[in-house]
Amino acid sequence: MAPLLQVEASTKRFGGLAANRDISLAMEAGEIVGLIGPNGAGKTTLFNCVTGYMHPDDGRIVFDGRDITHTRPERICRLGVARTWQVVRAFGRMTALENVVCGALERTNRVVEARVRATELLEFTELRGKHDAPAATLTLADKKRLEIARALATRPKLLLLDEAMSGLTPIEAAAAVQLVRRIHEELKVTMCVVEHVMEVVMPLSHRVVVLDYGVKIADGTPQAIVRDEQVIRAYLGERRAAH
Amino acid sequence: MTRIALVIGALATIVYPIPLQLQGTTYYQTVGFLVLVNAMLGVGWNVIGGWAGQFDFGPQVFFAVGAYTSALLYVKLGVDAWLGLPVAAAVAALICVVLTYPLTRLRGHYFAISTVAIWMIAQPIGATWEYIGAAQGLFIPVKPRTGVVASALSLQFSGPTKAMGYYYTALVLFAVTLALMAVVERSKLGYYFRAIRDDQEAAEGIGIDSRLYKVIARSITAAVFAAAGVLYAFWALSVFPEQVLELNWSTLPIMATVVGGIGRLWGPVLGAVILIPISQIMSTTLGTGPLAGRGIDLIVYGLIIIVIAAFRPTGLLSLPWSRWFRPGPATA
Repeated sequence: MAPLLQVEASTKRFGGLAANRDISLAMEAGEIVGLIGPNGAGKTTLFNCVTGYMHPDDGRIVFDGRDITHTRPERICRLGVARTWQVVRAFGRMTALENVVCGALERTNRVVEARVRATELLEFTELRGKHDAPAATLTLADKKRLEIARALATRPKLLLLDEAMSGLTPIEAAAAVQLVRRIHEELKVTMCVVEHVMEVVMPLSHRVVVLDYGVKIADGTPQAIVRDEQVIRAYLGERRAAH
Repeated sequence: MTRIALVIGALATIVYPIPLQLQGTTYYQTVGFLVLVNAMLGVGWNVIGGWAGQFDFGPQVFFAVGAYTSALLYVKLGVDAWLGLPVAAAVAALICVVLTYPLTRLRGHYFAISTVAIWMIAQPIGATWEYIGAAQGLFIPVKPRTGVVASALSLQFSGPTKAMGYYYTALVLFAVTLALMAVVERSKLGYYFRAIRDDQEAAEGIGIDSRLYKVIARSITAAVFAAAGVLYAFWALSVFPEQVLELNWSTLPIMATVVGGIGRLWGPVLGAVILIPISQIMSTTLGTGPLAGRGIDLIVYGLIIIVIAAFRPTGLLSLPWSRWFRPGPATA
């Protein structure tokens, strides 16, 4: 079976800087893939290319058998890719429920139907009781959950979470990990989870891809990744001889 | 509580011209007419400006398109105003689609100034295009009508009931606009417009084609402006560029919307009810007598708007009205 997502030698340059260079990776349906790397490694650029906010200068991206290299974000969403944002982008002046309704309207034209779906998803993401709160007034943790609910409302096959756990307290982060697991188990959504904190990604992911300076330096099981020389060097720097 | 206020407001609006008519006054009915026209325009502008969050300073172009289309249909083909109205609205919406689609590449201030630019281009076209009468414009000949029904059906009122006739026509058009926009607000369109306003990138990420929906929003605004333009043309019995392309056809409704409450269905209505009579009162009191011609009325009018904007930037509708008018503690 062909992979759900296939990135083939994708390169994205900003002026002279290659934010992504020759990146290839594949994601099978049903996987949770962790995408890690130090700040500036090119994780968000890769996300932007996959979701159509940027288009690679070279290479090809195929989702579910379709070439989406030059497709616009709203078309890619329709095909079944949804994302959340590193810096939250909730619709601040709309209520929590309305935010999710907007997502659900991707699959229906009827607002009544969308509201039912949105209510279910607010329940699922444990935001009940906050339906009518303007999104701008929610806590960061709740906004991140709301973004996930809104993305799920579009019924994605692939969900890309861009640092869904960063900036959260340890308790909130643990709850977010729980939520990711439930999305995977109960909704059967394939996921790619970007984090720069390794401890969050490792127990969650079936497979981990590591980027550094725009290049893929490792791709394997969490157990293999933590022992990988290149990964250790990228995170901890060159081992120096003690003086 | 809100419902009672609405019923009282609706009744007052309907009854308003009757005592004036009995007295033989037409001035205040014309003020009422202007309030309704500006409220209607504000409700229309709210779609692109309030919900979709795109500042459009050039909707008067579509007001002019509406006025000219209906006047041309009437003068050249003998088509009545009511038949001309949907045609005018459709023509304006269509022109708006063609003009706006390229503009939706621009965002924020750049979108705003591009709408102004289109208005600036429209002015010389209006002033030089012979077919539509160039600078002199078009005159709408009054055909003698017998009876209220015939006048209402042809949108031509004359004689002592002229002001009242146009007041009620404006009321009908305003009410229809408000009802339609209430439907839009609760539909998929309403949700999508506001999503684009709050965050365009995030909206695109959940499948919203931001350019398409901005074009739809502005075309709805254009259709409302065109409908009001038709009404205005038959009220003024003439259409010429300096009059229908006047900047006030956008600034007054926009001010009414902002003062009343931008992005709220009833905001422009409240704004128009407050601002238009103030401007009329100012011009008939401060604008006449020893101070006439010095613009004192406009200065005071401007100050009132500045004070409201500074004191309540989210609009007067956002004040805690229900708390003030509720008897006893909250019952909801």
